[in-house]
Amino acid sequence: MYEGKSILELHELLVSKKVTPLELAKDAIELAKKDTNNAFEYIMESEAIEIASKLTEPEANNLLWGIPFVIKDNMSTKDVPTTASSNILNGYVPVYDAAVVEKLKNAKAVPIGKTTLDELAMGGTGTSGHLGMTYNPYDESKTRLVGGSSCGSAAVTAAGIVPFALGSDTGDSTRKPASFAGLVGFKPTWSRISRYGLFPFAPSLDTIGIFSRNVTDAAIVTEVLAGRDDRDSTSSTEPVGKYFEEITKPCNKKNIAIVKEIRDAVKDKEVLDAFNKTVEELKKHGYKINEVSMPNDVLASLFPTYFVLSCAEATSNNANMDGIKFGPLSNGSTFEEVMSEARTKGFGELIKRRFVIGSFALMKENKHDLFIRAQKNRRRIVDCVNAILKDNDFIYLPAAPSIAPKATDSSDRLSDEYLIADNHLVLGNFAGLPSITLPIGFKERMPFGANLMARAFEETSLFQVSYELEQITGLANIYAKGGRK
Amino acid sequence: MKEYNIEVLKDAAKRLLFDMSESEYETLLKEFDIVTKQMDIIGSDKSIDEYEPMSFPFECTTSYLREDIPEEPLSREDALRNSKRKIGGQIKLPKVVQ
Repeated sequence: MYEGKSILELHELLVSKKVTPLELAKDAIELAKKDTNNAFEYIMESEAIEIASKLTEPEANNLLWGIPFVIKDNMSTKDVPTTASSNILNGYVPVYDAAVVEKLKNAKAVPIGKTTLDELAMGGTGTSGHLGMTYNPYDESKTRLVGGSSCGSAAVTAAGIVPFALGSDTGDSTRKPASFAGLVGFKPTWSRISRYGLFPFAPSLDTIGIFSRNVTDAAIVTEVLAGRDDRDSTSSTEPVGKYFEEITKPCNKKNIAIVKEIRDAVKDKEVLDAFNKTVEELKKHGYKINEVSMPNDVLASLFPTYFVLSCAEATSNNANMDGIKFGPLSNGSTFEEVMSEARTKGFGELIKRRFVIGSFALMKENKHDLFIRAQKNRRRIVDCVNAILKDNDFIYLPAAPSIAPKATDSSDRLSDEYLIADNHLVLGNFAGLPSITLPIGFKERMPFGANLMARAFEETSLFQVSYELEQITGLANIYAKGGRK
Repeated sequence: MKEYNIEVLKDAAKRLLFDMSESEYETLLKEFDIVTKQMDIIGSDKSIDEYEPMSFPFECTTSYLREDIPEEPLSREDALRNSKRKIGGQIKLPKVVQ
């Protein structure tokens, strides 16, 4: 009954007492139970009802009061099972809430479920979690990916079950699924939102991510989540902007760069046509579009650099999943046997492969040639991005080379289309920049998006230009009605 | 860079305290072929050596003194809750020293 509504629409209904938080929560839970996209790890039915029942007096100045949402299952939730879609964490129940969960609960938003992901957030397809593939709600044939790693949060938001969801973003894990699922997917500046309680994948790249169906809702949630948290020593003390209040003000930053080589690596005509159309419209809105260049060898090195760094960091960060500190205590007469049993049975194949690659990169004989060189190349890449943003306020590009691919599709992993067009969003992680994807068109009834990136801590202007772009495309608040029992 | 083959990969997995099936090692070996070709993109450009390694996107230093406020620590019940084997209020672990 309330599916597909935005935070502001639900807020209006709540403060005018046309609906209660309990009714909203029950409605969302009923929709969640009918989900056929394999998007839920756990539906928080009793927990949500308990929280929502206590919300009786509407708070007109609190936009998140009584609003249902879902949480990617790599964030700690007190007394709620949290598996990161990995068998090694089956049955694990955290004893504390992640900072972002705590903040949303304090704002009296109502969590209704934990969502699927690529195992331990490693992967970009939404197929490697222990429950199997998560489907794209726009694709009734259930053959197309929704993308990952935040696949469940994307699917639940795209199906209109809740107005927003928490994800995480290490390479593009919020912004790419947003493109495939017709959503707004936002990654803040690195350090802008506390990561306390987020299971680390590659902490030099990891951020919390937010899914919503319009830019305003993303700004509302970001404003609540941003800010210093002493429990995360990497969280920033930079003042938090008034993202929501200022979103409708005209953006006074007008220079937008388009990286020619990345745009040209996209071969899909419909995606390019829709993108070019938005560029022309942005010009009419007073934006100056500057075509800029990045060396092809730098762009071709994005994915390998990411792969080496993220696998190496992940190998080290997941060493605590050993069947003793975390994971099932297995049988064995020595601690090595116990750990080996737990890790062999607990991790999926893709995760093991990534750990071996990460470990190989960190071996004494390889560390300089692989890990250190990747770190050096990261600086080279970031220098290129920052040089573009010295004379430009934003970088604007197609978010992905195509609509959501089919699970059976394969790509040439040495082609420009794969190395550049499919992986350029990682620029935002390397440089720690805020970055947002929003829908710009449809092809074969599947959505696709474009991405805007800004300088560090310039979230306010990024939301403003994104809001203008959303007015241009008219693609706010879209959702898929398929995928229900 | 160290040569890679099935034995090297098995040794790496062993050091990481897990094992894989033979077919999984074969898949991993094929993945290494692609990954090393991708790595060559970085390896072939000597100008990269002029750059300082980058560990984090930017400096984000923390220097504050926490207020000395007593806090309730994790209760014993909570600390033991996720453990399947416990004896006398303690977690039972395998023998470490033989």
